[in-house]
Amino acid sequence: MRRGDLLRWAVFAVAAFVMNFPILATLVTALKPPGEVMRNPSLWVQAPTLENFATVLTVSDRLNVYHYLWNSTVAALIGAVLPMVVAFPLAWAMVRRGVGRAVLFPTVVNLRALPLIIFAIPLYMMYAATGLLDTRLGLGLILAIVNLPLALLLLVNAVADLPVELEEASRMDGARLPRMLVRVVLPLCRPAFVTTFVFGFITAWNEFLFGLILTTRDAVPMTVGASFFFATSGGGVQWGVAAAVMIVAALPPLVLGLVMYRRITGSMVAGAVKG
Amino acid sequence: MAGIELRGLTKSFAGQDVIRGVSLTVAQGEFCVIVGPSGCGKSTLLRLIAGLEEATSGTIAIGGRDVTRLDPWDRGLAMVFQSYALYPHMSVRDNMAFGLRTARVAEAEVARKVADAARMLRLEGLLDRRPAALSGGQRQRVAIGRAIVRDPAAFLFDEPLSNLDASLRADTRVELAALHRALGATMVYVTHDQVEAMTMADRIVVLDGGRVRQKGSPRDLYERPADTFVAQFLGSPRMTLIPVDVQDGQVVLPGGGRLSAPWAGLAQVGLRAEHARITAPGGGVLSGELIAAEYLGATLSVLVRVADGLTVAALAPPHLRITPGERVGIAIAAADLHPFAADGRRIDG
Repeated sequence: MRRGDLLRWAVFAVAAFVMNFPILATLVTALKPPGEVMRNPSLWVQAPTLENFATVLTVSDRLNVYHYLWNSTVAALIGAVLPMVVAFPLAWAMVRRGVGRAVLFPTVVNLRALPLIIFAIPLYMMYAATGLLDTRLGLGLILAIVNLPLALLLLVNAVADLPVELEEASRMDGARLPRMLVRVVLPLCRPAFVTTFVFGFITAWNEFLFGLILTTRDAVPMTVGASFFFATSGGGVQWGVAAAVMIVAALPPLVLGLVMYRRITGSMVAGAVKG
Repeated sequence: MAGIELRGLTKSFAGQDVIRGVSLTVAQGEFCVIVGPSGCGKSTLLRLIAGLEEATSGTIAIGGRDVTRLDPWDRGLAMVFQSYALYPHMSVRDNMAFGLRTARVAEAEVARKVADAARMLRLEGLLDRRPAALSGGQRQRVAIGRAIVRDPAAFLFDEPLSNLDASLRADTRVELAALHRALGATMVYVTHDQVEAMTMADRIVVLDGGRVRQKGSPRDLYERPADTFVAQFLGSPRMTLIPVDVQDGQVVLPGGGRLSAPWAGLAQVGLRAEHARITAPGGGVLSGELIAAEYLGATLSVLVRVADGLTVAALAPPHLRITPGERVGIAIAAADLHPFAADGRRIDG
């Protein structure tokens, strides 16, 4: 290895360490036995243990981590998939027909700029009236609203990037609108769908506010459930257990991101026109 | 197969007239080439026939059926796009089968038709590849194959050769002409390349500013262009237009040379390069300074400046030894001249 390479790797290593420090600190804390957390602030664990994880993964009468994981999975899937289903036809209509481009598009995209808390009170009343309070569907629906702007933005860009000749070719080939959308436009937008899904799922999974407001027992998501572990045995904060539950809660989106990352990049339209 | 009939077709985009009243009949089985400079509306005209644009007024009939207000899928036409527009996420086979499957043709029939087209276009070994893995010429053939399998009422081509390199273009030109003979299909072909138009067309339609300037066989258009635009658009080198005076029933050329000619109202004459014969100075009706001589093997393409702002293109025998800067004469036979009025129209009709 040349000296330039060595230097470069050293810089990368330092940067990776600094940026991931909070995660490393959490992981290390999760591996320390209860007494050591307060006594030993270093990153070196003197007596590594899985005790905290065992506590987290054990179902008690008050806490059930599997229940929270399942709630989060269902709600996040609804929150990630539903916006794509809604936004895809809308994105096509906006790009190709100009539907809603002047008013609807900026309005929806600007939803992201609003502090979500202003939805809380009306939403709580609506959910109470419709029986959606403390349901996974109810939580998933509001997460879908949260994700809609990003989904629309990404899919609008994806459709706009497709050569219009492909759609014209399919019209000449006899395809009416539904077949053209499903067989030609949709597959070509796949990278955008993957990106939308990954970001949407992660956003939905990590959402805390609506989970806290809209659920009490049956549909408590992982983020809210994790907070229950902080004071497991009354008294002070159980730092080791809290760290362990954070690691457990962070794993699913992390794994999803790693698995899907490769698919986010790369264009589908190579070889369509010219070349 | 079916003929296509356009009547008084117009198209405006945001108040801008792109097609201004085109009437045209393409006979069944005819290879019709629409040619014109860029911006003349030729692609728009093709898209109107395809149904990808809606006509502002006028009618389009295919095989005697009025299709003016029909969507593209109900017109039974196939189109080969300039960019090929192959579906990048499908194999060559699926690209060709897409239209048939859309029409719910039985899968065995789809396979047979795709195999037939693949054989005709030498694509058999490539059926499982994606378009990205094909060369430009192969993509082009897939685009044609996609059109063939559907057995359309007519084929529409939008500058299909413009993305190919020169030698492939020449080969594909020959293949397309052969394909036309083999299928006996009605084809409407748009190009800005007058060589493609001359070599492939049964009939050429010259379009300019959204209007038809002239239509006819390549020979008609070359030998009797209706106006100076058509005269200069077809043929290489371009036809030279020479402004003339008429005195005592004689044509007076720049420099004073005279030819007897019968036309009334003559303002300019057109001269094809092959009809201008290089002679010794004073040996012809025109004379001037040789400004370029390009040796092309079979001929010598020369430019002679006979007056300020007037350069005559001529083809000379390749063995002629002349060098730029020399003075030469140009001999012309009056019968070879194309007579035009001041507004550019041909006089002898």
